[in-house]
Formats: sequence, structure tokens, C-alpha cells
Amino acid sequence: MTDQLSTQLEEYLAKKLDAPQLRVSDLARIPGGASRETYRFRARYDAGNGEIERALILRRDPPASLIETDRTTEFRAYQAFHRLGLPVPEPIALELDATALERPFFVMEEITGCDVASILNPDPYAANRDKIGRQFWSVLGQIAKADVKAIGLADLEGAREPNGTWHHEVARWEKVIDDDEREPQPIARAAIRWLKRNPPPPAQKISIVHGDYRTGNFLFNAAGEIRAILDWEMAHLGDPLEDLGWALDPLWAHGDPTHPAGLIARADAIRIWEAASGLEVDEKALYWWETFASLKGLAIWISAACEYAEGRNTDAVNAFSGWYCLAFHNKVLAERLSQ
Amino acid sequence: MKPEVDQILALSSQALMGALVPQLPPGFAQGSASLLGIMMMLSAQEYERGAEIRAAENADMRALFREAAPRIADAGLKSLVSKAAATEDRSLRISALNAENTELRRVLIRLQAHAEEHADRSLQRRIWDVLKASAERRLLRLA
Repeated sequence: MTDQLSTQLEEYLAKKLDAPQLRVSDLARIPGGASRETYRFRARYDAGNGEIERALILRRDPPASLIETDRTTEFRAYQAFHRLGLPVPEPIALELDATALERPFFVMEEITGCDVASILNPDPYAANRDKIGRQFWSVLGQIAKADVKAIGLADLEGAREPNGTWHHEVARWEKVIDDDEREPQPIARAAIRWLKRNPPPPAQKISIVHGDYRTGNFLFNAAGEIRAILDWEMAHLGDPLEDLGWALDPLWAHGDPTHPAGLIARADAIRIWEAASGLEVDEKALYWWETFASLKGLAIWISAACEYAEGRNTDAVNAFSGWYCLAFHNKVLAERLSQ
Repeated sequence: MKPEVDQILALSSQALMGALVPQLPPGFAQGSASLLGIMMMLSAQEYERGAEIRAAENADMRALFREAAPRIADAGLKSLVSKAAATEDRSLRISALNAENTELRRVLIRLQAHAEEHADRSLQRRIWDVLKASAERRLLRLA
């Protein structure tokens, strides 16, 4: 199957990059989440000043997606933040037509020589924990700081007004639960009612929200340098505290919620984020966005369970999400909302 | 029935992750096989406890409904809660327990929303006790 895909990809890139002699080799599928099929490959071609070989990544839509995400948004977010100088791979080509590879896809630079943390690993960063931690929260602050108009993303999906962010996001994820729950979810429903009854203050600004900024979604090297922030497929306009709340969620804490994302202490993380973003963290607002984060998690896991149960996407990660992650966030929200 | 299903799943998971996964090429195949091994391990846990946690959850909700029904003023909801309190698990099959659980959860959601609307704090606390116990029971252990 990869032979055929390799040939199709070769034909596509040869035309796209105007390099008729382009050759694709070493195409192999790698883990990359359930919402896109991810492959690494090498492309050798004449770029106009001699032959080069590039390590590239193909992200292709699966037959069914975990959460319907817009690959155009993902590609444009990579473009915008790569240009801004953040550690983001260079996007190469976006193809929405299904003719070339049967489904829409995009191609981007592969960042080599790096690791990605599994949430099941209790200490993935080891001696580089503090160094990576400082970068992790600083980069998130820089994303929050970016001017959405200046980087060309002011038309992304999401709330346009600072006082509409919370309502937009609750409505979005409530609909996912309405559409995908295969059994009643009392804790999710209670959380939705709580979020609506206790709205946060308006956002300090409208930012690009990465949407899934967390441990496991960035690449780091042996020197403890973050080289790539990945998985921008849920990027949207919204309150920058949304990303902060998601990144602080205990599911991503590698077992130690006092060190969110398995990195530095919570207070240090928030201080670094404030310095990088130029924004202040209102504790009450952050509490709301952290509660929302766990509800959003539930919605994603409910959707994953539905995809698996209905046979549209039987990647084991969907079964795992529907069991382990769903139970985890139900526990988090039950503890939080019962206080 | 020996060996039991949970033992077969647990040992198969160990064999998959310990002996077979390391022989697969790194990347998608190795990652996917590891996750299948984890799902087998979690399935072993669920086989052993699945009926018990559903039966306990259903019993907790019915007990809650029996306590709550007399204090509900809304006639429609009172009737719904009373009827749900009087149901019982007629089979220990997972599918049958799930069907009962689904109906009981629907009533619980309505009862909790009602308690919030009427600021009935003691009923809210009692409902959260049931939900916390349920969430705790359903947690899965990876180690």
C-alpha cells in the first residue's frame, strides 16, 4: 500500500515543486494521532541549484476523522507561526482535491532527531524537565501574544469578540457531545450547566488558540530544545486562557498535577506565560477555563468512543480515549464541581 | 472456566508488549501494537469488574431516587424518579446492566438539573456523592 502511495506522492510533488525528476523514498507511517494519517518520507529533487534530499511529513485525512478538523486551518497555522519564527515545521504543500492521494492532505518539513513524550511515560523529559518547561510555557505565551491580523489568521473560525469566546466554545463542544454521546453523560451535562451559570470575564484579547497545546504535541531534542509545536488542527480564534487551561489539565501532567505537562511547577509556568504573552492571569477566569478544558476533553473522548463504536475509525487510540481518558476527566470534573 | 478471560487477556498483553512489539519496526506498527496491548490489559480489568461497577452504580442511583422522590414538587419529575427507583436489574449481562444504567442516568441528569434550579443544596451534594463514587469506580489503572 505504501508503494502505491509513494508513487502517487512522487507524481504529485514532482508537479507541485516543478521538479520532474523528484523521487520519493523511505515512506513509512508513523504515530500521529487519530485525526490524520501521518507518514515520513524522503524527497530527492533538483531545487534549481543542485539536487537536495529533504525529510518530509505527509498528513493525510483518514477515512473518518476523530473531530472534524479543517486541514486548511492547520496548514495556515503552520505557515503563520513558522514565519513568525516559532518552533514550527515549514509547511510545503496543501492539497484539498482528493484526486492525487484519494483524500485531502498536506506536506511539511520533518524535524528530525527529536522525541515526543507519551502521556503514559511518568518522566519523559528527565534532566531536561526545567529547560523544556521554560520553553514550553514561553512558546505558549508567544502564541497568545501574536497579533491575529498581523499574522494573517483573523478569519479563522472562532469568536470575534472578547465577551463571546466562552459561549462559542461551550456551544461548540456541547454540540459534539449532543451528536456523539452513545450513553448519557451526567458529569459532562453538569459541567456544561456550571460553565453556563458561571461565565468567565471577557478575554483580554482575541488570540490564536492552538487548541491542543500539551505534552505529547511537541518535539524536543536531546539537548532539551523544543524544535516543533505540532497538531494545529484545532486552531481557532478565542481567549488565550483556553490554551493555558488545556495545557495545565491534569491528564497531561504525567501523574503530578503540581507540575503541569510533566514540566516545571504550576506557579512558575503561569509566571513565564504571563511574561511571554504580556497578559495577566485572572485566577477565577483560569479556573473557569481549566474546568472547560476537562469538559472539552470529555467531548473529544466521547467523540473518539463514538468513532470506534460505530466502526468509522477503529484506531485503538479511539478505544483508549473512550475508556481511559473519559474516565479520567469524569473523575477530575466530579471532584472539581462537587466542591 | 479456566483460564479466566482476564488472565488470558493479561498474559496475551504481556506477550504482545514484551516479546512481539520489540520485534516490530519502530513507528506506527510498534506504537499501534503497544496500544493494542494496553487495551487488552484494560479489557482484563474491565472483564473482572464490569458487572459489579454497573450493578453498584445502578443501585446507588435507585437509592438516591428513593430518597429524592418525596421532596420533588414537580409531578412529572416525581413520577419519573419514583418509577426509576422501583426498577431493578433483571440480568447480570453487561448489555442488560448498560440498558438499565442508561435509563437511570437520563433520570439522574434531569434530577440534578432540577436540584440546581431549585437551589436544593443537600440534594445536589447527595447527587455529587453518587457521581463521585461512579467516577472513582470507573477509573482505569495503567500499572
